[in-house]
Amino acid sequence: MHGLGALEAAVMDLLWSASEPRTVRAVVDELQQRRQIAYTTVMTVMDNLHRKGWLRRELVGRAYLYEPVRSQEEHSAELMGEALAHSLDPATTLIHFVERISPGEARLLRTALTRATRGAGTQGFREDASRPGQRHQPSDGPT
Amino acid sequence: MIVAAALVTYAAVLAVVAPRLLREAAWSERAPRLAVCLWQALSLSVLAAAVLAGLALAVPSVPFNINLAEMLQACVVSLRDSYATASSASVAGSGLAVVAVLLIRVAFCATAGLLQSARARREHALKLAILARPAPALGAVILAHETAAAYCLPGRNRRIVLTTAALDALGEQELAAVLAHERAHLAGRHHLALAGADTLVRAFPAVPLFTVARREIGRLLELAADDAASRRHPRLSIATALTVLAAGGGEEVGLAAGGPTALGRVHRLLAPANPLGLVRTMAGGTLAVVLLLVPIAIAAGPLLGLGHTLYCPLPAVPPPAS
Repeated sequence: MHGLGALEAAVMDLLWSASEPRTVRAVVDELQQRRQIAYTTVMTVMDNLHRKGWLRRELVGRAYLYEPVRSQEEHSAELMGEALAHSLDPATTLIHFVERISPGEARLLRTALTRATRGAGTQGFREDASRPGQRHQPSDGPT
Repeated sequence: MIVAAALVTYAAVLAVVAPRLLREAAWSERAPRLAVCLWQALSLSVLAAAVLAGLALAVPSVPFNINLAEMLQACVVSLRDSYATASSASVAGSGLAVVAVLLIRVAFCATAGLLQSARARREHALKLAILARPAPALGAVILAHETAAAYCLPGRNRRIVLTTAALDALGEQELAAVLAHERAHLAGRHHLALAGADTLVRAFPAVPLFTVARREIGRLLELAADDAASRRHPRLSIATALTVLAAGGGEEVGLAAGGPTALGRVHRLLAPANPLGLVRTMAGGTLAVVLLLVPIAIAAGPLLGLGHTLYCPLPAVPPPAS
């Protein structure tokens, strides 16, 4: 997602890290410190972001001041919520590594894994996966 | 009429009996990709039998004749016969209607499903472009989130997504195994197999076979991706990653149904690999082909009849003498 997506990301990053609303001019000036970019391009991108609900704007004097509607964390949380709830869609959108399970089932999994890693020590199972200090490792593993 | 009845019986028996046999088949876990093919062949075979049954009603079966002129004549006669009286015409007409309804319904549901998932994926990719940061070394993008999760976005904007919590929770080996698993999904175009199964569920929600097939294909494709990952990475790493990511951590969002899949995958990975032998794999492949051929074989008469009907010189031929 180069091109437009990347520029949208750059603009949003800049406004998320800014402490106050910015004009298109101010955003262009900051972006131009890193690369050559046309004013109208940035204006279009910010207008799109406004239309899509990422930015809100307010007319101050003769220019719009833009600021993010929501924080980056809020957006990420919403996106993950969509991603994790996707199984409710009639059409498959994403493929997950593993579906989420209940804490009880998670305990069952850890027990199975612990038993296997213990038993594996005698069978010469490769145990390069376990590292000390790893918080999810269910056992220390045979060493 | 007999052919149509035979096809309907075949479809009904297959739809009821085969899922029970296939779902409980222990070998399916040893050859998940073959099992996926069989579920697909089974679904297609039932659908084809239903469509061909409609076709058998609509098109008269003409016995094959080496003399082309006689055969064309016979085809005109039988076509006339089958649309001559009100009752025979209504049978033939309803046969045509069955064919049309089935085909249009499948085509409509396939298109709707593809459009819907393409739109959802495009929106998701656009949001990811803004929110996630690329990690070219991993071939993935990283989304800041406290739930440990990994998934892939297939299609045109294909990418693998990891959350920061997943990066923290997984060891180096486990991370590599997760990435290999997701790459297997993308390289194998598993989303297309899922889209096909989704289409049939959407088109015929009342047919349990398609619902079971969708669920089984989803599960078996996970096993296939596990197998692909296990070729390069220790099985224990995949099992550990599964345990870590299934628990997720963070707040509970969107708990998916079907938890036993995770448990089954872990147990399977902890046991030594046990792929199906060549002979039995070949036998399974042959069975898939046979499943696809049976409805065509049953419907051979009407299918040939259809071929002839297309060439039937209907308007030009005078009424048969005598």
